[in-house]
Amino acid sequence: MSTDELEADLTRQTENSPRELLTRTFFFLCAGLSIVTTISIVVLLVTEAAKFFTITAPLMGVTGPTASIVDFLTGTTWQINSQEFGVLALVTSTLMITIGSAVIAIPLGVATAIYLSEYASTQARSVLKPALEILAGVPTVVYGFFALIYITPALGTVIPQIGTFNMLSASIVVGIMIIPMVASISEDAMSAVPDELRQAGYGMGATKFDVATGVVVPASLSGIFSSFILALSRAIGETMAVTIAAGSRAQFLNPLNPASYLEGALPMTAAMVQLLTGDITGGGLAYRSLFAIGLVLFVITLVMNIISDFVAQRYREEY
Amino acid sequence: MATGSSQIEDFGQVSRTVGTIFRYLILAATLFGIVVLAALLVYVANDALQPATADPGWYLTFFLTLVAPTALVGWAVHRRGPAAFTFGSFLVGLLVVSLMFSGGVGLLVVDVVPPLVGFSFAIAIAVPTAISVFLTRYSHRIGFTSRLSATAFVFYLSLFGLPGPIGSPIGVPQVVPSLARAIQSIPVIPVDWMMVGTVLGGIGGAVVGSYVAGVRDARTGLVAGGLAFAATLVSAVVGPFVGLNPVPSTVLTAVTVLPTATYAWRGAFTEERRPAGLGFAAVVVGGALVGAAATSTLGFAGPQSWVDWQFLTSAHSGSAENAGLYPAIGGSILLMATVAALSFPIGVGAAVYLEEYAPDNRLTRFVDVNISNLAGVPSVVYGLLGLGVFVTYLGQAAGTVIVGGATLALLILPIVIISSREAIRSVPSNMRQASYGMGATRWQTVKNVILPEAFPGILTGTILALGRAIGETAPLIMIAAPNVVFSLPTALESKVSAMPLQVYAWSSLFASEDFYTKAVPAGVVVLLAVLLAMNSIAIVLRNRFERTG
Repeated sequence: MSTDELEADLTRQTENSPRELLTRTFFFLCAGLSIVTTISIVVLLVTEAAKFFTITAPLMGVTGPTASIVDFLTGTTWQINSQEFGVLALVTSTLMITIGSAVIAIPLGVATAIYLSEYASTQARSVLKPALEILAGVPTVVYGFFALIYITPALGTVIPQIGTFNMLSASIVVGIMIIPMVASISEDAMSAVPDELRQAGYGMGATKFDVATGVVVPASLSGIFSSFILALSRAIGETMAVTIAAGSRAQFLNPLNPASYLEGALPMTAAMVQLLTGDITGGGLAYRSLFAIGLVLFVITLVMNIISDFVAQRYREEY
Repeated sequence: MATGSSQIEDFGQVSRTVGTIFRYLILAATLFGIVVLAALLVYVANDALQPATADPGWYLTFFLTLVAPTALVGWAVHRRGPAAFTFGSFLVGLLVVSLMFSGGVGLLVVDVVPPLVGFSFAIAIAVPTAISVFLTRYSHRIGFTSRLSATAFVFYLSLFGLPGPIGSPIGVPQVVPSLARAIQSIPVIPVDWMMVGTVLGGIGGAVVGSYVAGVRDARTGLVAGGLAFAATLVSAVVGPFVGLNPVPSTVLTAVTVLPTATYAWRGAFTEERRPAGLGFAAVVVGGALVGAAATSTLGFAGPQSWVDWQFLTSAHSGSAENAGLYPAIGGSILLMATVAALSFPIGVGAAVYLEEYAPDNRLTRFVDVNISNLAGVPSVVYGLLGLGVFVTYLGQAAGTVIVGGATLALLILPIVIISSREAIRSVPSNMRQASYGMGATRWQTVKNVILPEAFPGILTGTILALGRAIGETAPLIMIAAPNVVFSLPTALESKVSAMPLQVYAWSSLFASEDFYTKAVPAGVVVLLAVLLAMNSIAIVLRNRFERTG
């Protein structure tokens, strides 16, 4: 860019004075901290998880009880006391929260985005957008309390067989808290659709409904999809609401069976909290299983973030 | 088109029904989440505040003294000028928010930092700051490097003495005591309120002075700053006559009265001239005071709210009626101070590097992608990072203020960086080029042009990020912060609880009907009130920023 070259030209003479070097180094170190953070997360999770598995533990110089990696990835029972570490019981619970919150957040979020970008007046937007931001701003521990104290009893009047701890109310609050994420990213994508396309639609005699659903939504589909993935990755990593509302007993449920949402289960994040609120002594098998779950969680959310980025970049319509 | 013939038949027959239904459906979808949350908030507020338990006479009195006059005067002021009404409402809002702040500062001054320690450290920082400002301003002949080392030396001498922490590993005894230590060892020390008043009045006076100097001129600023300082000290003497202890009354003056008075002066008597707004604010505040006095005289009981003085000032207890949030509030304040002190400079520094210094190469792009990925990492994983790195590898005690603060700072760092970058990017590039054209170096441009211009935006982003940090629970659980703490943390190494953590503990570990209907709703309401105050500051700043920028 020409402005960058201009700046480089203008500042070349003074670039190596001690003051410039010092400030430059400070700013560089600040930016470098983010890389250090990522590296520490990856190294920490990988080494601690490696100490957990039988195959890799000897490489890390760990003696003592370990767990089989095959049992970890394929087992369906999670029982710390009987040393059964089947992460699938936790992963399916997380999947249930994800599906449940997606059912709530995706239609509502997209509808919100269409309304805000196509229908709402400037005045309505200036009220609705901050109101939606509040949904994402309420602490998740508060949402968990709401689910447990108000939503579950309310659901109990309709569905009497619902448990005190259940996946349904947890999914509902997680869904509500990720609506703003779906809505704001999708709305950004819809606002980026140029007005010429809309006017062309109207020129062809289309109604506002036709333009919104037939022109704007298809044109911003990549942004909408990337918002889904980002929001669901947030739902997967969501901790306190599911810890409080979904219960503490791990069980392997069928995520596609609606009846299983009435029972409580233990998603990955809730299992991590439970491991720490229980009696955990540093360095034991339970301590290391924490990092193994953490690694699974980190990999899933990272992959989803990368996919979301990829979708947004690869399929973006250029105008 | 395959369906061409049917379209021709439909031509001109556009039904409005579908469009209308769709429009209202998506409006309903937009409102769904907001309405559900609003209903839940009403429920929790009802449980916490118990409005039904108040005497009808209490409501009537407050309606007559507060609500009705406010509505009437507000309507009249708004009709004459919306700007005056906005000013008046902001003034009331500022009063409420700054009252909350003075509660927080009062907590720090009374229970966390002993007055002598605070006083000595304030002096020990003020003296070298004054020296370095003097050096920068009056001696151009000293080179940058020697000036920097002189400043660093003065600060070190003042805070740590000679040889200080450097000497202790090699066994050199302390030769020169630090200024802070020297002040603490003076046998005759002033009374508590004098020290607190001097520090808070000094800070308040400096802020008020520079603000007024910006609005008017340097001399008025000097007078205003001096007045503010004097007012803070005088309030300690006057305070006991109206039933306030000297120390809390200095805090109240410095944190609440000074900013409110300055804003009122600015809005009512400078070029904007909206004294009507001042009248509106006076009606609201006066109505509240008169109402409170009238209800206590007439003997009307207010609601039996669970959010009361006892809840705010006592520690956890086994019974929900006696449980309180005080240690958790103090813990949250200390955590937020740590988080702000760590994440603000680092986040802004990283943003400045990426926007102003970074060459467009692979490393920069990697850092860029990396930061946006870090923003998506679940908070519980940051908790693991804190547990694994700070506690296990660096050997810090689990659950302390510094470990919790550092973990939360890492968590919000990506958000601070991203919002600061946006603020820096919105500084027009011709301002940059003008600065370079005047011969300024990069650092001079950053310091004199970019940071001042981007500052409101950066501050907004940081406050919003702090709002996220104050509600985070999972990372604190991961670093094994205790669920129940009975006293305030007094050092960076002491165990800390926080408001959301206490709410979690009550709703899971002490799960009982009693806690669910009393302590937890009260805790939720306090937490949400603090968040609301922080976010409203951020939103006001943002709106002001958007108007000028």
